[in-house]
Amino acid sequence: MNPKMNEKVTNIAQFVVLLIFGILLMIPFLWMVSVGFDRTANITLPFPPRLIPEEVASFNYKIVFENGRLVQSYLNSAIVTISSVLLQVFASLLAGYAFSKGTFKYKKLLFLLVLCTLMIPMEPRLIPLYTLFNKVDLLNTFWPLILPTVINGMLIFLCKQFFDQLPSTLREAAQIDGAGEFRIFFTVYLPLAGPIAATMVILSFIWSWNDFMWPLVVLSDQDLHTVPLYLSSFALENGTSLAGLTMALATVSILPIIVLYLFLQRYIIQSIALSGVKGE
Amino acid sequence: MAKDKVSMNHSMSSSVHVQSLKAKKKNNRWIWYVFLLPSFLGILLFMVYPIVESFRLSFYQSNGTIENFIGLKNFQQVLTSTSFWNSVWNTFYIAFFQIIITIPLGFIFASLINSVKFGQNLLKTVYFLPHVTSIVAAAMIFQFVLHPDLGVANYALEALGLPASSWFSDPATSKWGVILLAIWHWIGFVIIICLANLQAISPEMYEASRIDGANKFQQWLFITLPNMSGTFAFLLITGWIGGLQRFNEVYVLGGPSGSPARSIQTMGAFIYERGFTGFEFGIASAATYIMFIIILVFTFINLKVSKMKL
Repeated sequence: MNPKMNEKVTNIAQFVVLLIFGILLMIPFLWMVSVGFDRTANITLPFPPRLIPEEVASFNYKIVFENGRLVQSYLNSAIVTISSVLLQVFASLLAGYAFSKGTFKYKKLLFLLVLCTLMIPMEPRLIPLYTLFNKVDLLNTFWPLILPTVINGMLIFLCKQFFDQLPSTLREAAQIDGAGEFRIFFTVYLPLAGPIAATMVILSFIWSWNDFMWPLVVLSDQDLHTVPLYLSSFALENGTSLAGLTMALATVSILPIIVLYLFLQRYIIQSIALSGVKGE
Repeated sequence: MAKDKVSMNHSMSSSVHVQSLKAKKKNNRWIWYVFLLPSFLGILLFMVYPIVESFRLSFYQSNGTIENFIGLKNFQQVLTSTSFWNSVWNTFYIAFFQIIITIPLGFIFASLINSVKFGQNLLKTVYFLPHVTSIVAAAMIFQFVLHPDLGVANYALEALGLPASSWFSDPATSKWGVILLAIWHWIGFVIIICLANLQAISPEMYEASRIDGANKFQQWLFITLPNMSGTFAFLLITGWIGGLQRFNEVYVLGGPSGSPARSIQTMGAFIYERGFTGFEFGIASAATYIMFIIILVFTFINLKVSKMKL
């Protein structure tokens, strides 16, 4: 065999090995879909495990949609996520721009303070925030989930780095024309911030959608539950007793995210690699 | 003369213009604080205040309405509580095995994907998929995948002639169920970060070493590995920070007490259990401070060990 052929063969072998491992990683998903559609799996798991159901039935999915709670939790998650994303991205763009192009007192110190927020986990803040929102009577509303997202050190940092790469000469030209700082920001720099804004929206969306511990604390009202809260309460209530229904529920909750991922995967992978932060 | 006047006027007006611009610039510095207003209101209200308040609360006996100053008693109680140290042990145990297995495994997969000439994008998409699914839904699926009698994992193990495990149904094995889930969920992230950095290594280095007669393995050992040390340090640090805050999946799998028999209760779950099922705010606050310090110290050690400069 000549060396070129040899290389081709090793390449194909490598690809096949990687593909097999990839399919192995996918088995929980494939099995989830299959059990949800399996006629015999309404109460317990079909045994021996099979990837293709013997008899396909859709009653588990019917129950999921007719019950309505998943649909409701989707709506709740959507309201919370969209509001948080808008608030967080807008506030971070403003702050990131000021730290990049602004000249003002205590700039370095204030930026250091922003970086410090990156090291503060949620746990020590949990109880005071809970009592704070309790005092203003906002528990069991979406406000506690939306308002605290206004500050995000990672997004401000990414944003500052982006604006650092844009030339300051754009500002000077607009200043000579007599434009104020806000006009310069909105008409000159914001239109150029598309790429970083997209990254910020993706990250912010993932964080907000998957947020769990804090919503669990402030939302005891089941009608307000977000998707992760509904799933966890369902799982804790039923354990492994309703196999088909649980798997159908998991499928419906994951599927939209997977579809979104398949369409936007290049951007999502880039964004997560850029932030280097676990997406949860 | 007329010409002179015009030019004088012109120079005067332009100097006036520059002056007013400078004055404007100086006067307008306050406007930058308006840009920062939303973020810093957020920092004060949702970061600084809770951190300070939580510190104060840790010296009180409190259920949210009635408060009594009790000094260091909360800290004493947490530090002498066996269930707290049990949760610390569980947290470290799960995080340690998650990290020690996922980073090398992810790096090997990333190296293999990097050297494949086709289908790289397909492989990336597939390997990253678990990481985009929410860990809550993933935990739900893994309850069934790792079902001791009917699950697909034990079925496969037995078919291969390997011993099956009792996974989440036995305190002795339940942590390994969580570890398996954590590896499955994190490996895509490790692979993507490794790949991005592998592709950033200059091809000229490999070219030069090839001319010097180095084989593939030597290249990997002497070029790839040293160039990846920063990446490993980064993954080590973010892995530990995430691992020490583990809560979502263990809550779904074992509730606030980390069933079975508290075997998967993490520090976060301990705090949640004390704070929001027992409403012992003082004790929970003391526990969060101890956890916070553990995370800070551990991150500092990680930074030192990996010699990473921040």
